[in-house]
Amino acid sequence: MMIDENLNYVILANNINKKFLKNFSEYPVINELSFVNLKNKLEFYTSKRIIFNNTFYALRDFEKKEILKLLNKQKIKYINITSDIEEVIDCDYIVVYDDENIALEGKKDDVLREEKILKKLGYGLPFVVDLSTQLTYYNIFSKVYDDMDELVGELWN
Amino acid sequence: MELSNLNGQIIGIISDDFKKEEYFGKLVNEIVTTKPNEAIKMVKLDSNILNINYDDLSIREQNKVILASQLHNKEIILINFSKGMLKKDLEYFKRLFKKISTYNRKIILIDKNADLFINCVDRIYVINNDKVIFDTLDIFDRVLDMYIDPPKIVEFCHKCENLGVRLDHYKELDELLKAIYRIKS
Repeated sequence: MMIDENLNYVILANNINKKFLKNFSEYPVINELSFVNLKNKLEFYTSKRIIFNNTFYALRDFEKKEILKLLNKQKIKYINITSDIEEVIDCDYIVVYDDENIALEGKKDDVLREEKILKKLGYGLPFVVDLSTQLTYYNIFSKVYDDMDELVGELWN
Repeated sequence: MELSNLNGQIIGIISDDFKKEEYFGKLVNEIVTTKPNEAIKMVKLDSNILNINYDDLSIREQNKVILASQLHNKEIILINFSKGMLKKDLEYFKRLFKKISTYNRKIILIDKNADLFINCVDRIYVINNDKVIFDTLDIFDRVLDMYIDPPKIVEFCHKCENLGVRLDHYKELDELLKAIYRIKS
């Protein structure tokens, strides 16, 4: 996989085992950590790229936001390996795996347009994207949102 | 904390008190010992997995194996079962839990992901240092937000209510869409 040093990636994978993680062995991998431990680790992190492996599973949304803000401040780019489709919202580029094979990849907005493929593979769509996509079918929206506050504001404004 | 005394047939628990039992170094057939082929099939795994080492599995597969190992127990306790699962998996397992619970089994889900609880559990408990500090029958209960991020559909309904738009407590996207359509048209 070619990595653009300026992009943040989400790797959506349904079978993240040791063999799969070997594909990313050139970078340090961070597994699940508490918010405090993760924050401490990142504050002293020197590399410009980091790999998360289901790291955000136990974090609250506000904690994830703070971690992403910290990464941005430290100019650290990430590759987030996860099976949780909700985690794609903040990235630039998505690579979707079906077992060991890449099923789909591209810029976030382009991949999220592939509703049928993502649902067929079992990942689904992020809630906000799914809701706003469905609302375009009802002719209530003409665009797809990825921010809930924006969507709610636009819906009831 | 004696979890079996808690009310409910399928229970959701938010807590850091419990540690998941791991099976490193074991083959799957040493973990799933009661009717293994049937159990493995029920959790949507291939029977070839029985001869594979637990360590070599993904978290998603490990969690399915742990469930398979308990499928014939009176009480099933799963810790962070949702980790590594896809949306489609959660839908399938919620249906399976409901089916199992009709055979007078108790299912206890200790989890960090409220998406596992919605449309599934009878009651949610928050346990800290061996004490129940909060419990509710309603996943839309705003007090719950202090302990766990609500499912996105709940968060959406709360945000709409904050703007003065009162939506019923829909738990399915289809129902929510129809309600929005009715209001907007």
